[in-house]
Amino acid sequence: MGLLSIIRKIKRKEKEMRILMVGLDNSGKTTIVLKINGEDISVISPTLGFNIKTVKYQKYSLNIWDVGGQKTIRSYWRNYFEQTDGLVWVVDSSDIRRLDDCRAELHNLLKEERLAGASLLVFANKQDIQGALKPDEIAKVLNLEVMDRSRHWKIVGCSAYTGEGLLDGFDWLVQDVASRIYILD
Amino acid sequence: MEPETDQPKTGGGGGHRKHLAMLERLSKRSSASSSNAGAGAGAGAGTSPVDAFLARFAGAKLAAESALSACRASSPEDAAASLAAAGAAIDDIDRLVAEASHALPPYELRAALAAAADLRAAHRAAAAELRPKKSFSFRNKSRAPKNPPQDPATALPPQPPPPPELPNPSLDPILPGLGFRGRSGATLVKDLRRVSNGKDGDFTLADLVSCEVYLKGKCRALYIHRLRGCRVFVGAVLGSVLIEDVEGCTFVMAAHQIRIHEARATDFYLRVRSRPIIEDCSGVRFAPHALSYEGIEEDLRESGLEEETGNWANVDDFKWLRAVQSPNWCLVPEEERLQAVDISEAREQGDDT
Repeated sequence: MGLLSIIRKIKRKEKEMRILMVGLDNSGKTTIVLKINGEDISVISPTLGFNIKTVKYQKYSLNIWDVGGQKTIRSYWRNYFEQTDGLVWVVDSSDIRRLDDCRAELHNLLKEERLAGASLLVFANKQDIQGALKPDEIAKVLNLEVMDRSRHWKIVGCSAYTGEGLLDGFDWLVQDVASRIYILD
Repeated sequence: MEPETDQPKTGGGGGHRKHLAMLERLSKRSSASSSNAGAGAGAGAGTSPVDAFLARFAGAKLAAESALSACRASSPEDAAASLAAAGAAIDDIDRLVAEASHALPPYELRAALAAAADLRAAHRAAAAELRPKKSFSFRNKSRAPKNPPQDPATALPPQPPPPPELPNPSLDPILPGLGFRGRSGATLVKDLRRVSNGKDGDFTLADLVSCEVYLKGKCRALYIHRLRGCRVFVGAVLGSVLIEDVEGCTFVMAAHQIRIHEARATDFYLRVRSRPIIEDCSGVRFAPHALSYEGIEEDLRESGLEEETGNWANVDDFKWLRAVQSPNWCLVPEEERLQAVDISEAREQGDDT
């Protein structure tokens, strides 16, 4: 219909993608965004509310929404679901005690209809910390294989601190989204 | 990848940003008007947005409650349909609250969220009662209705096995990392400089009662859970500290980030590069870092914590997002503050982790 086709047209022209970053507090969402943007990561306060960054990535323009993960503000995540092309779920791989919470919040999120078409990238962050769980262990604990038939997803180990793995993850996400929404290229 | 236009919450991002914001508003409005065809009139002229919300919320709550009571009264055949209807009614409430969340004062918001959570719980209870076996599977449909279960011996086999739901993988087999756990009345000392890779790993303090904890050296992350009446002294954390559920404790530590959840009557002596946050806390107090031991300057410097930022007093309370001071925290009055604590003499006793 009218509005939707206008939005599509604009998006296509500017090659825009809307990426939503979510995950429990202390998982490293803001650090990841600042790191891929080449900014200082030594002073980052826990996110009160949200941050938006526009990042040029290959020929695309990524609108990255980094939303705070504290328990009190998780209920506001849903305000950012609209028109999300790619979803990034960030996990603190060394916080073993809260992996149950992490799984519950993730699966709760994935029930959301407005996110049904979004590709899912799971970042198993903090791989630089000794004793962090490996990506395949995180995948098992989070029960990711239940999505095999319903969604494009991938888990990538990374360290926002060193930057390792971040580009691998975003490469996959951007390619996957692009192959879906800019199929004509 | 290069930075382009940052778009912080303030800042005039120009036409592009306005354009996006407008599209978003438009799309929100179009979806909102289709989803609340019934209750849409609530935001009418004359009433404040809060009153309008409360009216719509009351209506939606009533609808959900009556749908729930219909569930309980329904026969097993209709159970699925009535449960789905009740679930949809509760979803409506969630949506209503989410839409209004920006405009609502904290009390109304919390009350609304609590009511929604109660309904959700009631719905789960009703669901558990009405469909004890709900495993989804492909099976020959003609089989079930054909044998009226008279004889228990033949009736039982065709029943599907109870289970279902996704088995949640257990965390038990995962070996815990370094830490002190489940101790009472002990003095616990660890010098991470003497642990190979200690500085590259995380450390955990969990389920401690009336303990004194001395942690010298550096680590990458610190997790603290369920401490009662403990005194905790920590060298330098090059990364974040996550503290949950502590009561009647004193913490002295330096770190890049500090998050404090569910703390009661506890004092924090901090040096922190970013703003510390509290959530669901009461009676917590803050003061500047006050710790020394041989070599602490080096540990702090190597962790980027040599500088006193003054952030120990810049606390954000997620349960009090207003300009006036939160009632949940305050500063420790100067005359009550700990004098610099020297833990050089604390030695490891050999039994730990």
